Amino acid sequence: MPLIARLRNLPRDARDTLFLVLVIGCCVVPLAAQIPLWTSTATALLLLWRAILSWQGRPLPRRWITFSLLILATALTLVSFGTIVGPDAGVTLIVMLLALKTLELRARRDAMVVFFLGFFTLLSNFFFSQSLGVALMMLLALLGLLTALINAHQPVGRPPLLDSLATAARMALLGAPVMLALFLFFPRFAPLWGVPGDDLTGRSGLSGQMSVGSIARLALDDSVALRVRFDTPDGRPPPPSELYFRGPVLTVFDGRQWYALSQPEARAVTWASPAPAQLQVQGEPVRYEMTLEASRRPWLLTLDVPSDPPALPPGTRAHMTPELQWVLFRPIMSVLRYEAASYPRFRHGPPQRTPQLRPYVQLPPGSNPRTAALARQMRADPQLAGGGTQAMVDDALRRLRTGGYRYTLEPGVYGDDTADAFWFDRKEGFCEHIASSFVVLMRALDIPARIVTGYQGGEMNAIDGYWTVRQSDAHAWAEVWMEGRGWVRVDPTAAVSPGRIGRIERLQAPRTALGGALASMLSPSMIQSLRALWEALDNRWTQWVLNYTQDRQLDLLKDLGLQAPTWQDLVRVLGLILAAAALLGAAWTLWERHRIDPWQRLMRDMRRRMARLRLPVPGHQTARAMAKQAHEALGPQAAPLVDWLMRLEQARYAPRPHDSLATLRRDLRRLPWPELEKSRRPAPRR
Amino acid sequence: MTSAAAPRAWLAARWQRWWMARTAPSDHLRLTQRNVYILPTGSGWMLALTLAILLVASINFQLNLGYLLTFLLAGCAAASTWTSHATLRGLQLRLLPPEPQFLGSHVVLPVQLFNDRRTSRHAIALALRGSRLWSWADVPAQGSASLHLAFEPARRGLQDVPPLAVQTRYPMGIFRVWAWWRPQARVLVYPRPEPAPPPLPPGEPRAGTGASARSAGSSEYDGVRAYRRGDPQRLIVWKKAAQALAGGGDALVSRDGQAAQRSELWLSLQATGLREPEAGLSRLTAWVLRADRMGLTYGLRLGAATLPQDSGAAHRERCLRALALH
Repeated sequence: MPLIARLRNLPRDARDTLFLVLVIGCCVVPLAAQIPLWTSTATALLLLWRAILSWQGRPLPRRWITFSLLILATALTLVSFGTIVGPDAGVTLIVMLLALKTLELRARRDAMVVFFLGFFTLLSNFFFSQSLGVALMMLLALLGLLTALINAHQPVGRPPLLDSLATAARMALLGAPVMLALFLFFPRFAPLWGVPGDDLTGRSGLSGQMSVGSIARLALDDSVALRVRFDTPDGRPPPPSELYFRGPVLTVFDGRQWYALSQPEARAVTWASPAPAQLQVQGEPVRYEMTLEASRRPWLLTLDVPSDPPALPPGTRAHMTPELQWVLFRPIMSVLRYEAASYPRFRHGPPQRTPQLRPYVQLPPGSNPRTAALARQMRADPQLAGGGTQAMVDDALRRLRTGGYRYTLEPGVYGDDTADAFWFDRKEGFCEHIASSFVVLMRALDIPARIVTGYQGGEMNAIDGYWTVRQSDAHAWAEVWMEGRGWVRVDPTAAVSPGRIGRIERLQAPRTALGGALASMLSPSMIQSLRALWEALDNRWTQWVLNYTQDRQLDLLKDLGLQAPTWQDLVRVLGLILAAAALLGAAWTLWERHRIDPWQRLMRDMRRRMARLRLPVPGHQTARAMAKQAHEALGPQAAPLVDWLMRLEQARYAPRPHDSLATLRRDLRRLPWPELEKSRRPAPRR
Repeated sequence: MTSAAAPRAWLAARWQRWWMARTAPSDHLRLTQRNVYILPTGSGWMLALTLAILLVASINFQLNLGYLLTFLLAGCAAASTWTSHATLRGLQLRLLPPEPQFLGSHVVLPVQLFNDRRTSRHAIALALRGSRLWSWADVPAQGSASLHLAFEPARRGLQDVPPLAVQTRYPMGIFRVWAWWRPQARVLVYPRPEPAPPPLPPGEPRAGTGASARSAGSSEYDGVRAYRRGDPQRLIVWKKAAQALAGGGDALVSRDGQAAQRSELWLSLQATGLREPEAGLSRLTAWVLRADRMGLTYGLRLGAATLPQDSGAAHRERCLRALALH
């Protein structure tokens, strides 16, 4: 193929540049979904341009062109983010700088700048994902960068890239022990300054508010949100009807969006007494260990509902909001693991109607008029009016079940009066439409109601027994206040689509082209077990690498026999390891200084043996001369010795594969010495 | 700038003198732990800064994978001290005796590098100490490579080969590993030949004949002599002229009937007619080269020393050597 032939015969610098552009592409590709479209497009075009330039052997663009492109990129970043500092803008800028710098590879210093920018790009990938897949991909990209770096430091000839790759892999292997020691013992600190805010977009997960479509978007996201190990026999989960993982509670409705009450507001509105006073639990709790992916949100997700604070890592504190949500004092920036005990049977909220419940019946005035009319009609119904709140709820749920309502992932765009549109026109929607319309109807009936967001369901990974909850399990349900019972969970989605709740069956997300191709090759059960295997691996990764925190470090020290270790002990252990490594290095240096070439050592051994035969040989004597000397002194007896010496000479100057030094060493031991020595001993000369 | 540069230059000179005094010159150098030095380069410091930033980012964003990346890079950097140092350590260098050269042209120093390791050594650079004109070579496993360095001597005579530096930045360019080498060999530098010297001096009467023979135009020609103004064209030996031209010379040669037998060519400082001795030596050098190219028999009188009438390459070398050392 001419293309391959051309690739083989490319001039060295063109080949190197193409390789570097390829590696940079690998570093940047995973970021494409996270950076603005203009950045990814511009980066792709710039890299392509650079590749074409080196392919055709054309000169680089003039400096003012790259400089103006740089200014343009900075300006666009400023427009996109309003700033050029901060992680999001920083990532965009680094990617642009990296792509632009490839157009300016003139001196070796430029190449080094590209490598350093490449390392930053690798790191910025981890802002968005630290999964095993990303880690493997970045390891490959790092090896690629190192290969290019090593290749750039071989100015002679046209060294094969595979050799540089082998060197890079060797360097990485040599560096791995250092990495391991530092990773295990470098003390983990809290962020040095500031708290990284909520400013990294593109991270999926629950947010503090809900608008139409926000959870439907999550339904397509297969990434893991949390993992649970239930402390029950066989790790069996509670029945599906109890698998509600509570997240933000949304109370304030502006007609389109739902918001949480701000906390002082919630406290002031609801009650003055501490939250647990409003919570009564019954029965046996479900105990579990939760591993929460980094959500960049401060809330913990718990199974409804723990009465005691979850057991968090030291240095982390959480409190419970009046709406039963557990919140940390800072966002969760890395994987967080905690243990909790939840009571599926609980009672919560004021038993009597109080003024504090007023925010839960507020609706924007004049919105959803037809829903309000429906509420009036229901209230006028004498049958319902007698049944109290429970009857109203049952009637609404019956309406959902029998009124031809449909559960769909793609409900289309809703107008202004979303509840009206759902109840009367479109009659289809995703859980947030259903829950929102349900709560609007309840409030129109003057029944306090609110929306709870979180996750519902999940599935067991058969390989490691972890209960896995994905972003696609995100859910919104309702809570209705009832006289004498407090807040009661009502899941209107279950009425529309019983399959959504209970049988844990998800709507099929549209298949990607690659997924489709894979699916056609493999059987569904095989895909399922492959996926389970991969996720079990990913879970191990999460548990052991991503969740390696200071308390795990201190646990490690305890296992090493330290009592009550502190982070200063970590520093000490690290220092000890480094000192030991330095000592080993020094010892090796000493050893190397006294080391003798193996061939020379054989010569030396031979000289000693000959000296014992009263045949002193000066140190500079060649093997041939020694053979001659032995032959003259010992006659035919010396034949094996002479033969060995000649073989030794050949091993030095014209080595043959079957006559290695090892063979010679073995043969030296087998040489018929005793007879020779005996023959000399009877006649010692004085 | 100069105020800062002066003490630094003084320090550098002092250091150089101390090092020269400490090092025994040798044409064979084996690089060991004792004579191989290592320090981070500018890129190395830049990598250190990069690592610091990566670490701070990992801490601030609580990225455990960021820690892994940072520490793996740090590990690679640590490994590269080892690899870099090992690239030079154990290497053997041998300087082959350099050929004598004329002042004004470059002396070539052929250096052989031997590697008795089982892996090859990459990107080894060699240069005169203090110069930045590196020559690069890869030395294959259990093999050798040769490099040629050139330097322009400042004066004529027998002189030391300047100290050499061998260095590598392989593999990552973050460490510079180097060694200095003071070769023992000395190189003979002949005087610079005068670019356009006047014609060779006239021959002197052979001792004992007594007759002054200047019989240009004789029809008999047994020998040749340098072209003299006024020589008829038919006396010019065109074959010789063509050879001389091909050899880069420009001298015309005329047939000289009995002159060769009757007179002998003596080159001396007096014959150059120059008062300045170096210029005289320079002209003598050019004359020796011309006489040799023309295949003449000539002698050299230089101070007390006299090199008798002779011809050939060995005689030329003797004369040039005498001129170099005068």
